[in-house]
Amino acid sequence: VAFLFLIFLASQTVHSWKKDEFRACDQTPFCKRARFRKPGACTLIAHDVSISDGDLTAKLIPKAPHDQDQDQIKPLTLSVSVYQDGIMRLKIDEDPSLDPPKKRFQVADVVISEFETKKLWLQSASTEKINGDDGGLSSVVYLSDGYEAVLRHDPFEVYVREKAGNRRVVSLNSHGLFDFEQLRVKKEDEDWEERFRGHTDTRPYGPQSISFDVSFYGSDFVYGIPEHASSFALKPTRGPGVEESEPFRLFNLDVFEYLPESPFGIYGSIPFMVSHGKSGQSSGFFWLNAAEMQIDVLAKGWDAEGGILMPTEQSRIDTFWMSEAGIVDTFFFVGPGPKDVVKQYVSVTGLPAMPQLFSTGYHQCRWNYRDEEDVENVDSKFDEHDIPYDVLWLDIEHTDGKRYFTWDKMLFPHPDEMQRKLAAKGRHMVTIVDPHIKRDESFHLHKDASQRGYYVKDATGKDYDGWCWPGSSSYPDMLNPEIRSWWAEKFSYDNYVGSTPSLYIWNDMNEPSVFNGPEVTMPRDALHLGGVEHRELHNAYGYYFHMATAEGLLKRGDGKDRPFVLSRAFFAGSQRYGAVWTGDNSADWDHLRVSVPMVLTLGLTGMTFSGADVGGFFGNPEPELLVRWYQLGAYYPFFRGHAHHDTKRREPWLFGERNTALMRDAIRIRYTLLPYFYTLFREANVSGVPVVRPLWMEFPSDEAAFSNDEAFMVGNSLLVQGIYTARAKHASVYLPGKESWYDLRTGTAYKGGKVHKLEVSEESIPAFQRAGTIVPRKDRFRRSSTQMVHDPYTLVIALNSSQAAEGELYVDDGKSYDFKHGAYIHRRFVFSNGHLTSSPVGNSRFSSDCIIERVILLGYNPGAKTAFVEPGNQKAEIELGPLRFGGQHAAVAVTIRKPGVRVAEDWKIKIL
Amino acid sequence: MRSYSIFILLLFCIASFIRSSSSSVPKHTFLGISPQDEDYYKSSDSIKCKDGSKKFTKSQLNDDFCDCPDGTDEPGTSACPTAKFYCRNAGHVSLFLFSSRVNDGICDCCDGSDEYDGRVKCPNACWEAGKVARDRLVKKINTYNEGVTLRIKEIEQAKIAIAKDEADLTKLQNEEKLLKGIVEELKERKEQIEKAEEKERLQKEKEENEKQKAEEALRENGKAEEEGKVENEKVEQEANSEDKPKESTDDDDKIGNIEDSFVNEDPNVDENEGEPTSKVETSDSSKTEAVPLNKEEKHAVKNKHESASPRHNDDSTVSTEIDQDAGSKVSPDEDKKAESDASETTEGLSREELGRLVASRWTGEETSPSSDPSWLEKIQKTVKNVLDAVNIFKTPVNISDAAHVRKEYDESSAKLSKIQSRISSLTQKLKHDFGPEKEFYAFYDRCFEIKQNKLRTPSCSTLYVYKVCPYKQASQEEGHMTTRLG
Repeated sequence: VAFLFLIFLASQTVHSWKKDEFRACDQTPFCKRARFRKPGACTLIAHDVSISDGDLTAKLIPKAPHDQDQDQIKPLTLSVSVYQDGIMRLKIDEDPSLDPPKKRFQVADVVISEFETKKLWLQSASTEKINGDDGGLSSVVYLSDGYEAVLRHDPFEVYVREKAGNRRVVSLNSHGLFDFEQLRVKKEDEDWEERFRGHTDTRPYGPQSISFDVSFYGSDFVYGIPEHASSFALKPTRGPGVEESEPFRLFNLDVFEYLPESPFGIYGSIPFMVSHGKSGQSSGFFWLNAAEMQIDVLAKGWDAEGGILMPTEQSRIDTFWMSEAGIVDTFFFVGPGPKDVVKQYVSVTGLPAMPQLFSTGYHQCRWNYRDEEDVENVDSKFDEHDIPYDVLWLDIEHTDGKRYFTWDKMLFPHPDEMQRKLAAKGRHMVTIVDPHIKRDESFHLHKDASQRGYYVKDATGKDYDGWCWPGSSSYPDMLNPEIRSWWAEKFSYDNYVGSTPSLYIWNDMNEPSVFNGPEVTMPRDALHLGGVEHRELHNAYGYYFHMATAEGLLKRGDGKDRPFVLSRAFFAGSQRYGAVWTGDNSADWDHLRVSVPMVLTLGLTGMTFSGADVGGFFGNPEPELLVRWYQLGAYYPFFRGHAHHDTKRREPWLFGERNTALMRDAIRIRYTLLPYFYTLFREANVSGVPVVRPLWMEFPSDEAAFSNDEAFMVGNSLLVQGIYTARAKHASVYLPGKESWYDLRTGTAYKGGKVHKLEVSEESIPAFQRAGTIVPRKDRFRRSSTQMVHDPYTLVIALNSSQAAEGELYVDDGKSYDFKHGAYIHRRFVFSNGHLTSSPVGNSRFSSDCIIERVILLGYNPGAKTAFVEPGNQKAEIELGPLRFGGQHAAVAVTIRKPGVRVAEDWKIKIL
Repeated sequence: MRSYSIFILLLFCIASFIRSSSSSVPKHTFLGISPQDEDYYKSSDSIKCKDGSKKFTKSQLNDDFCDCPDGTDEPGTSACPTAKFYCRNAGHVSLFLFSSRVNDGICDCCDGSDEYDGRVKCPNACWEAGKVARDRLVKKINTYNEGVTLRIKEIEQAKIAIAKDEADLTKLQNEEKLLKGIVEELKERKEQIEKAEEKERLQKEKEENEKQKAEEALRENGKAEEEGKVENEKVEQEANSEDKPKESTDDDDKIGNIEDSFVNEDPNVDENEGEPTSKVETSDSSKTEAVPLNKEEKHAVKNKHESASPRHNDDSTVSTEIDQDAGSKVSPDEDKKAESDASETTEGLSREELGRLVASRWTGEETSPSSDPSWLEKIQKTVKNVLDAVNIFKTPVNISDAAHVRKEYDESSAKLSKIQSRISSLTQKLKHDFGPEKEFYAFYDRCFEIKQNKLRTPSCSTLYVYKVCPYKQASQEEGHMTTRLG
């Protein structure tokens, strides 16, 4: 059998990723061309530098116009704006007053309107001669306390620096690689068309790419720029020691069976990079551009031949950014802490939406749950096995011939009744709605869209006709706000017949996936609103679609019900609209492994609500892999099991009693931690700091943590590391920091700051609570999160070396926006000097009858027998109890029994 | 009964009064404990956890705090995940619930006893639920009774069928004896003829060799014809060997006919006769009998299947064509991989073909050539064509005695082997265990099928057909693939 399996694997790899069907850099003219540029090739200088409209502005012109190639003839406009919290925005575009053949596309609707209110109006710039700049002039403006923005004139370079010591933070064009292909009239002998595998891109506007170098100072690693299946710390893609040189590609694509280690672009794109270094400081750079982008991380010594020497006293990482079209609209984030960078980024692109409580539970999906009977059966099996879950999903087969918003009448004759049955158990349903609309005259949606002219057009101006699940399909032009609003209406209960309030939505294939298009997507010369070419906004198409769908659910609920929309494609800002997942992964250990850096990267770039398909979409996981995936997936922010239709059924009860117990236990761990997760989602919702974080976000100065992407932090309190191999007996786990860590299963304490070789149990993956933290839990198991609302809490206090700890709890109604008006409970718990106190954070008005039934103390020296609760001076017993429930767990933890305090109130528990 | 429900109602009132005290502690200390278990809890003030891990006091019983890891102390609350809640459900069947159902806002016990914190009101529905259950039981009894009647019928029929089969067997055995004799005779005759022929052939060869040496020019002309002959012979041989499995299926059909004719008491084995009036059911007719059970479903599935299947076929031919193209295009000059060639050829596809091809990666409609049924069919077809062609051009000069004998021999021995196989299958059948009263006799070559829709995409429709043949095998068919289920 093993042999057959190997053969199967081998044949799979042969037929899997179709590398040739996707363009490598050297098959992509703008990328190939840009990579040939030598450092110092750019001789643009900043001219007419002045302050206008609160910005520092200039014109970029060639230093010696006649030496330059003929294309660079018109000056470019440059503007530097500064915003609160240490954000500099640099824009470079063609001068509209000089009548370029076409207005270049600026991505709209990504930068939130509040951001403009944070603009600082510059009054003046100082001009400096900066040492080492060969006496050239630079204009310096205020950026924030401690930081300045600098524009060097000749050759032009833009950077931010620390005021004290003039230490650079992030710079652009320090290597003179800047290039801006201006739009122009086609010459007679020119052929602008590009051909790839039988597809012709007419490229009516010709070359228009942009490229430049960006350097991060005091940096040892760079991270971000999802979505790639690759390590968290980005590996160099060019320069000494790089074997296969391919830049990180940002181009939203539906890649069939993507590889678990590749710089090629997959479903989503966020052109935001974060750097971090030994100093413990981070910085960030974001390029708001939705065209195809390619990014090189340059290995040290890449420019040895270029002859440009930079100050080498601090470590630096150089990167090279290339885009096919658009403008330079970039944001520099000064940090200096990792969380500061994330906060700065979300102040531009928006805070992650607050999810509904139910959506933070477990989701059960499959392509496809066949019919109503199947749904009922799967649902009842969860109850039979006492496994909680919150959402049952229906993939494309539930529709009438892939016409979204419809139901297959034979398989799902009573959709509303089916949803109501689930809702009666507090469960929800999600159906899929994709952007391709079946070209079928009898389909009202198609008829309506085509009559209104709402479809994306092909290069000749006809409705673009592509191929997807339903066959011949067209795609609504989601760039157009009118069309988004039309789309949103389709989600009303009247329009979406058979939908009920417990139904939410899944947007798939929104890259967009077009089976017969170039690289399985839409042709670049397809046309959107206002003549915008698809090439200019490709990476944001899925974003607009996600946005329109989320707006639809918002409208449906009169603005009172938080939408839940899962999307596969995404762009900067998608965090405002819902969750994403890492697409069609495979049931193998490498994919389990790579899910961690992928989820970490998404979190770092704002998309905190993310996860990978538990079990792997393609292929059949062996039970051990499936169990390990559940154990890891329980800590993903988005926790969903999903599978391809050709795979065997794999619901948690199908692999024997032992495995059922293990998967049930993994899912239950998630449910006990829901109060903690929900609190973290709220933290993300107000700060952008992700639910799942890299170790260095919590331990910025711990170098050993910088490239660790096997382990991750859930909030600031839990460290989790997956088991990524079969039959693992041991795992080496690095526990950062100086404080101890407590094993979540056994309560055993481990020292921080070292690698521990731990024995691995089949019962769980290594997971620890950091000393000095308090984690709120609910230790009762229910059918779904809905029934847990009134259940009492457990507080797990992990004491640090000074016998102190603190933590938070956030509670609201779990579904509405009342929390925006103060209807929430936000408590801070502090333990010190043997006293545990609960005090409010902010001004909240929400009631809850929930009590705290148990307080567990880890690292507390036992001795005390009783505790006193204030107010009331009630007595509570102290005894040894188990750390977890739901199995045979030894009594290892000091437990305060039934303190009975209310979670919404102020109180104090004193141990005597 | 009545007083009990009043008591519950009272409980509700009390519970809702004191609800704000946040406690989910039941007012009735022994809530959730089955009557058999009550003594265990009442025996003493200090109660042991059933797993022996700990002791707890009576005040800790159902105090909404989990003391025993196994949940012994919290049978009536949700505090211990491992605990079980007993609902009495007077008027219906008593029940153990997972503790997760206690006070979760959903009425699980028909007597409502699992919801006592006042958040929901669960009316006692045991009488109604019990009635439903009782009705169901009555129905079940009726079904059993029907089954008994059916069984009696089956036994009657089995008796007749067995008698018939046994009669058949005797008849067949007689036939066999006769035929054996004939065959033996023919065989002898045939061998004699063959010997004579061999002699003749050797002589001919000799003569021909001489002729050839003598006439070179003539040989030139005759060559083509000669070769053609050889080839024909070869093809014939090949066709014969290729055709073996096919012949055997033909045999099956013929056997069916033979058997039919026996049933008709017609000893003459004639292929044109013996159609209806057959009492022995072939698997075909049994199929139509089993189907009405899920007629509707099958019908629906079929319709979809049909509407989608033509596309599916198109698709598979497209992909196989591509594969073939790719294969033939590989030239030694190009050092590209075969794989890249295969994908290169997508350029030659129409937009729709490309769409279908890419879609098929996800939908998995691509099938490997070895398991592709259409290939097999194709090969069979071509072989058959060739055979037909050969038959047409085969021109035996005269039907000699030898040929006659050969033919007779072949036919008779074929008949013999058919009769023998029929005998052995009948003996086999009669040997089987058909139950104490042979009530399952009619099931012998009957099959039951259920069709289940697996997945449909616009371009394909996949169907699982589950087939159970009680005295043969159970299988799952998907397209043309059959998986035995054991």
